[in-house]
Amino acid sequence: MTGGVSHTDAAGGWRALARAYAGSPLALGGLALLLAIVLAALAAPWIAPQDPYDLARLDIMDSRLPPGSLSADGSLTYLLGTDGQGRDMLSAILYGLRISVAVGFAATLLALALGMSLGLAAGYAGGRTDALVMRAVDIQMSFPAILTAMILLALFGQGTDKIVIALVASQWAYYARTTRGAALVEGRREYIEAARLLGLSTPRILFRHLLPNCLPPLIVVAALQVAAAIALEATLSFLGLGLPVTEPSLGLLIANGFQYLYSGRYWMSVFPGVALLLTIVALNLVADRLREVLNPRLRPQ
Amino acid sequence: MPQHTSSPRRSPRLPRLLLGALLAGALLPAWAADLRIGLSSDVTSLDPHFVNIAPNIAFSDHIFDTLVKSDAKGKLVPGLAESWRALSPTTWEFKLRQGVVFSDGTPLTAEDVVFSLDRPATIQNSPGPFTSYTNQIVKKEAIDAHTVHLHTASAYGPLPLDLISIYVVSKKAAENATTEDFNTGKALIGTGPFKFAAFRKGESIEVTRNERHWGKRPEWDKVSFRILASGAPRLSALLAGDVDVIENVPAADLARLKTNSQVTLAQHTTWRTLFWQLDQFRDQSPFVTDHAGKPLDKNPLKDLRVRQAISKAINRQALVDRSLEGLAVPASNINAPGIFGYNDAIKVDAYDPEGARKLLAEAGYPDGFSLTIHGTNNRYINDEQVVQTVAQFLNRVGIRTKVDTQPVATYFGKARAHEYSFALLGWGSLAADFTLRSIAGTPNPDTGWGTWNWGKYSNPKVDELVAGALAAVEPAERERLAREAAGVALTDLAVIPSHHQLATWALRKGFAYDGRIDEFTFAHEIRSVR
Repeated sequence: MTGGVSHTDAAGGWRALARAYAGSPLALGGLALLLAIVLAALAAPWIAPQDPYDLARLDIMDSRLPPGSLSADGSLTYLLGTDGQGRDMLSAILYGLRISVAVGFAATLLALALGMSLGLAAGYAGGRTDALVMRAVDIQMSFPAILTAMILLALFGQGTDKIVIALVASQWAYYARTTRGAALVEGRREYIEAARLLGLSTPRILFRHLLPNCLPPLIVVAALQVAAAIALEATLSFLGLGLPVTEPSLGLLIANGFQYLYSGRYWMSVFPGVALLLTIVALNLVADRLREVLNPRLRPQ
Repeated sequence: MPQHTSSPRRSPRLPRLLLGALLAGALLPAWAADLRIGLSSDVTSLDPHFVNIAPNIAFSDHIFDTLVKSDAKGKLVPGLAESWRALSPTTWEFKLRQGVVFSDGTPLTAEDVVFSLDRPATIQNSPGPFTSYTNQIVKKEAIDAHTVHLHTASAYGPLPLDLISIYVVSKKAAENATTEDFNTGKALIGTGPFKFAAFRKGESIEVTRNERHWGKRPEWDKVSFRILASGAPRLSALLAGDVDVIENVPAADLARLKTNSQVTLAQHTTWRTLFWQLDQFRDQSPFVTDHAGKPLDKNPLKDLRVRQAISKAINRQALVDRSLEGLAVPASNINAPGIFGYNDAIKVDAYDPEGARKLLAEAGYPDGFSLTIHGTNNRYINDEQVVQTVAQFLNRVGIRTKVDTQPVATYFGKARAHEYSFALLGWGSLAADFTLRSIAGTPNPDTGWGTWNWGKYSNPKVDELVAGALAAVEPAERERLAREAAGVALTDLAVIPSHHQLATWALRKGFAYDGRIDEFTFAHEIRSVR
């Protein structure tokens, strides 16, 4: 019975949330852009004109061609030009987005799961657990995220999985701190007291009752952190620490094109830069609107 | 007759001429006789026997001379020694030039030469001693003031080549001098084209013309070297007019500089040749697998047909035009053209993907195999692009190739531990027999052969010819054997040659330089032009 009630409540909540979100055309535009980017990234193998990671498909004779050039064998028009290896920039950007989006979301979900669990435990249990987790958070946050990630990549080596691990390791602390703050407030409320007196198990109290009420700030942080994770991945790749050179993500594409900027071959770094910019702007628009609609103090009366 | 007619007219003209000369002198003093050079690497010590690294050697050549010199193309020419010959397989005679004096006025004698050859072995704590060039000499004799006899334990042909690296210092000035005395200029007394003026470590060095120099006098009264290690600031200094010449122009900026009318570029093929080393000693090579990733039952790189296929699959012209932006020329040898022992009978392998596929099929790999190739990403010109482009070519003939590039600090360690299957190396030396001994000689830690033979290639015929060349004291005989050794090793594709790098200098308008094969920047070879 209670389950049924809360279910309709939640559905009603989501609908209200969607209505509130739709109040801003700019935020709707951001959402549409984000969806388009995610879809393009997911569909990259089907919509990209070339598989940019298959070296047998690249032709060095097509290298550094300006946008709109025809390939040497006449089979393909390079809409956004080619890079130093003869890679179609459009395909490379689509595949690069795929890596960025996958890495960004995977790292955020894992960091969220880890940080949230630790934050809940710290906020609910208090005492020694709290002290231990929060000191770990303090230590973690006293290092710049980029530094933590660089050290881990130097230790583990290259690869998508390694980048995700490095991003999780440098971002979990934000979620832990946010969750703990929310859990401290919520943990003192009467409904938690009641649940405890009913003799419910601790995991049930934590995840069934405490967590849903801590979620709004976490959603906002997570949406912002996806953008941060994508930017961090691009930074690491730009520094040559991320992925193999034959499978460039956006950051590596920008880095590779960077050396040609002075010689006027702008397209090799500008286009992937624009793609990265659009992704991060879209994510930030969405996150900003979520913050507005989820924060009762900012909600219009 | 002309005196009579011209003398009445000369007197009124003379003051005007003098005035003109004075004006010109007053207006154009800086660029009439001063030269400012931007160097890309720090000169760590001015002691010419302290550490064997290129920037220090390049500077020493301004102050000192060697018995034997190498010209801009790498050919041995007389230096302080006017002539030399082998009296017997183990005895060499060097005749010194007459009338040579040091910058302090003391005449050069055989005593100074013997002292200079002894000195490298007395240097303490050298990070890179010069003794590898003097170790072969077991006895040095000053026969008279201008004759030196050098004895080796066994027949050793490259002795004159070794001597291009040992600078002759003044015994009087350097006898009890420390390396510090050289850095302050106290012991820095040589016979070279310039004299020491000032040294600020890590920043700059200044020299002035040595009016007592025996050879052609440089046209510069004063030369200052500035250390500008990063590419962009070095280029900016040139464009801003702070320096007149820079070495090691950043590759990506070349296209832009070519269109700049205030700057001229000088290029020269360097001795640095890049080639691929292939694992030729393991039966299962760590980075060679079938397409499913399982090890093959034998190592295809041991099969000459596979090596030939790989060589034919590489489009070297496209590689140098595209990936290297014209900063290299295709290679067929592992020494640059013109270097002692270069074998011009061996031609650059033509790009032939069909032939490559056929050879792979003949060798039993009609569908190719999978391979990871390794290279550096911060050592050679556009090295990371070169590795990727070669991977592209190999993929086209069915060898599914992955790329792994690393900074040189980790790369050389792993490569020298023979961890790779297919790896890029660049090598520079002034003789083919020297290169072959290190790169293609059967590795033997006791004799120092094959120290950079990563693939452990071993061919008794090559070993025999290289040993014969190194023991030949007749230059013609030695060159014949070195050429033949290079021919045998390259026909067997001991390594797969890729390209010879070009070095680039940029000069402000009014200056000219021909460049050098050893990549050195010599102020005494820079000229002014109108």
